[in-house]
Amino acid sequence: MSQPNLELLFTAIVDGDAKRAAAVAQAAVAAGVDPQTMLTEYMIPAMDEVGARFEANECFVPELLISARAMKAAMEVIRPLLLGRAVEPAGRVVIATVQGDLHDIGKNLVATMLEGGGFQIVDVGVDVSPDKLVEAVQVHQPQIVALSALLTTTMPSMKRMIDRLVQEGLRQRVKVMVGGAPVTQDFAEEIGADGYSDNAAGAVTLARRFVGVAA
Amino acid sequence: MQPRERFIAALERRPLTGRVPHFELVFFLTMEAFGKVHPSHRNYSQWGQMEEKERELHRLDMADIYIATAERFEHSAIFIHPNPDTVEETIRLIDILREKTGDRYFLMRHGDATFSIPDGKEMFAFAERLADDPEGLKREAQQKVDAAIRRAEVYARHGGLDGFALCADYCFNSGPFLSPRHFAEFITPYLAQLTAAYRDMGFYVIKHTDGNIMPIIDQLVATKPHALHSLDPQAGVDIAEVKRRYGDQVCLIGNVNCALLDTGAPEEIAESVRYALRNGMPGGGYIFSTSNCIYTGMPLKSYEFMLEIWRREGVYA
Repeated sequence: MSQPNLELLFTAIVDGDAKRAAAVAQAAVAAGVDPQTMLTEYMIPAMDEVGARFEANECFVPELLISARAMKAAMEVIRPLLLGRAVEPAGRVVIATVQGDLHDIGKNLVATMLEGGGFQIVDVGVDVSPDKLVEAVQVHQPQIVALSALLTTTMPSMKRMIDRLVQEGLRQRVKVMVGGAPVTQDFAEEIGADGYSDNAAGAVTLARRFVGVAA
Repeated sequence: MQPRERFIAALERRPLTGRVPHFELVFFLTMEAFGKVHPSHRNYSQWGQMEEKERELHRLDMADIYIATAERFEHSAIFIHPNPDTVEETIRLIDILREKTGDRYFLMRHGDATFSIPDGKEMFAFAERLADDPEGLKREAQQKVDAAIRRAEVYARHGGLDGFALCADYCFNSGPFLSPRHFAEFITPYLAQLTAAYRDMGFYVIKHTDGNIMPIIDQLVATKPHALHSLDPQAGVDIAEVKRRYGDQVCLIGNVNCALLDTGAPEEIAESVRYALRNGMPGGGYIFSTSNCIYTGMPLKSYEFMLEIWRREGVYA
């Protein structure tokens, strides 16, 4: 069987064409292409390309989400093959919107982009208490904790979350990244976070730096 | 001139003397200021079960809160949030406010019918519809606008309401949720229709949205609202630039940085207030306001500090 053109997989994801992404992935699997190669050399780079365009204001949230859907469609095809090969995710991220804050747009966007970047996501939800965060960190053993807040009035919860991780002896085990409309790099440093990003694509770059994975 | 007249003069970009008009979309700190729960924070699940005289007492109480807010903080306009939010209750509230205050205040209510940024649970479905069913989405957009216009016709026939605040948020700090191309297809035509219909009925239109509006501001202004509200400095919107580019087409409202009111030092608040006044006021067509509202959790003293500066320096010669 002839080798399928895997560039088509890349472009299908960038274009947000889920049907084409799945079809190319299926053809590649049938032709014996290594699914790990498909994932690391075409699919994740496609989401990286979408993220770069997003950061450059060349694509917007709906296009980003449709590309993520195409990525998922291709993942559905290759996942069964990856399961038997003990392929490790780039890292595990516990993500939450902090206590008192019910906004989830930013959190969900970051989760989508991190997932597209090869990370395993544990989404704890919105209005998450320090207790609930600690429990999630203890249970899921992430390398990264990602915290979101939309309101200036809920930003102090981020510090309470970090302080609680310190109290529980978990702080040294995880990197903490923060984001959200009112959050700044200065604020992140002030509360002792390890990193800050003002957008979802930047969060992927930051997460990769935390786990030592090249972008 | 009554505050309402001054507010309308600003919306129409007519020159004013005296203090630049002020209002806030919402003042949520009613418990701290007046010992009363804000009308939007009340749960009236048993509204229909109440005796009419009890409902009327609640309406009067809510009206008193809006009036007390306007009087204490010198608002020229009252943005009502009827609770329960029905056409009938809106009309009852308007009548009470007019009975108690005459034509002193400009009265407005919510009137948007365009798609705002969906929440985190709905945004995936919305993005899918945008890609897979654009015509269905446009049909829904049209239905929403048609329904809003029908409601507005009831208010127009009844009288007492001056305008609508269109509060669908379109933008994040980084820019619009939709690309400018999609915005032109799925928002602008419907916003223009809605605004034109409201104007034809004699209503004033204030278009509010948070975030960085600059990539779509041409489209927003082209829909011909009387005013643009928020002008969010947290999202990098510079009122000086907006005034320079659009000050001859639309009244500007807002730009005082809410985040600074919440967490900033007094000198930072003062600088934000002065920047908004200095760049918004020249030539008229400016209404002083925060870049969002006086929301729950904001220190009241910060808002009062903002108003102190406005009272001293927000004055036309």
